[in-house]
Amino acid sequence: MNPSVDALRATFGNAIGRALVARDGETIVTIGRDALLDVMRWLRDTAGHSYDYLVDVTAVEYRDGERPIELVYFLRSLEQRADLRVKVELPKEQELVVDSVVGLWAGADWLEREVYDMFGVTFRGHPDLRRILMWETYAEGYPLRKDFPLRGRFSRAEQVRQALGANPEAHYSMEELSIAEAFEELPEDMRERLRRGERGKIPFSE
Amino acid sequence: MKHVVETTEVAGQSPNWLLTRLDDLVNWARANSLWPMPFGTACCAIEFMATAASRFDFARFGMERQAFSPRQADVLICAGRLPFKLAPVIRRVYDQMPQPKWVISMGACASTGGIFDNYAMVQGIDTIVPVDVYVPGCPPRPEGLLYGVLLLHKKIKGETVLDPELRREQPLDDRGLRLPPEQIDEISEPFGNSVHQFRSA
Ligand code: SF4
Repeated sequence: MNPSVDALRATFGNAIGRALVARDGETIVTIGRDALLDVMRWLRDTAGHSYDYLVDVTAVEYRDGERPIELVYFLRSLEQRADLRVKVELPKEQELVVDSVVGLWAGADWLEREVYDMFGVTFRGHPDLRRILMWETYAEGYPLRKDFPLRGRFSRAEQVRQALGANPEAHYSMEELSIAEAFEELPEDMRERLRRGERGKIPFSE
Repeated sequence: MKHVVETTEVAGQSPNWLLTRLDDLVNWARANSLWPMPFGTACCAIEFMATAASRFDFARFGMERQAFSPRQADVLICAGRLPFKLAPVIRRVYDQMPQPKWVISMGACASTGGIFDNYAMVQGIDTIVPVDVYVPGCPPRPEGLLYGVLLLHKKIKGETVLDPELRREQPLDDRGLRLPPEQIDEISEPFGNSVHQFRSA
């Protein structure tokens, strides 16, 4: 068992739930959703723990419909050479909202966007929460949820129609393209699109 | 009574000698200088690269120069699976190519969706652009692609310069589709093993 767990219990008490050692020897600790930011900041900043690297953020939905969706944070301390998996349970009856850790690890940006895109979990405080794998006008839902049909919700023809209606250039925001400074030199139509924040249009959708 | 066929009648029915010679010349030139626009999206693109490299070398068939600009390309080779997110991209590339233009769909995924019968994948690029030659395989060996290219040569050599279809653009219809929706649904039907694939809560 990773010693950080005992230290967490001593500091946060009830906010720390079950802890167990996975088959590969890594420690998994479950924490309450409200304590997430505090716990994460503590894990990152406390000497002797210093989990300075967020390896991945992902989510799991179990076949058993009663079980909550689990968010999984893979942390690594380069200094301690230690790994820790932190889980947050999100019951399905409640809104799937959790605090964003982008403020702690900037690398969480795209990871959280992926979880949002695939599972529909909203990250409070995320600077740019948009779909990342599917295009932005994608309207069928969240593909990795268990209630999502394998072939999608719409007919193939409708899927093709919506896909062809997407604007291939609209996947980038101003910040991503770093063209904010070059804005004035862009062609008029592109400026107009960026100004309106256009993300593609589906013909005859209304 | 003897049936006499007037020469004018024959000339009206068959392309005249001059025109066939001209067709031969033009088609010979077109078929032997196809500039491919590689649209490599997945594993098939590796075999495509092998086909382009020295061992198989499709420069032998006049594809010396790969056109990385659609404006200078004759044949679009879609090598690999096409997610819906790339559908408007390949459509735009196709629209930007000058006439006459041809499309080769390389591999099971590009032709039918292959093993990826799921929410993210186009079930055959022919729902998006017209396809001239399908090359089966997962991935097709370079010989397979070369055979497909030779089939395309054959097709081109049977064309005539007078055919207006060669120069007709085929834009999307007012629904934003290339084919009627029923037809898209029909060609996207699951088949083979994927009939049994199913997932929902
Ligand atoms: S047909 Fe096979 S090799 Fe080609 S893209 Fe699909 S999976 Fe990859």
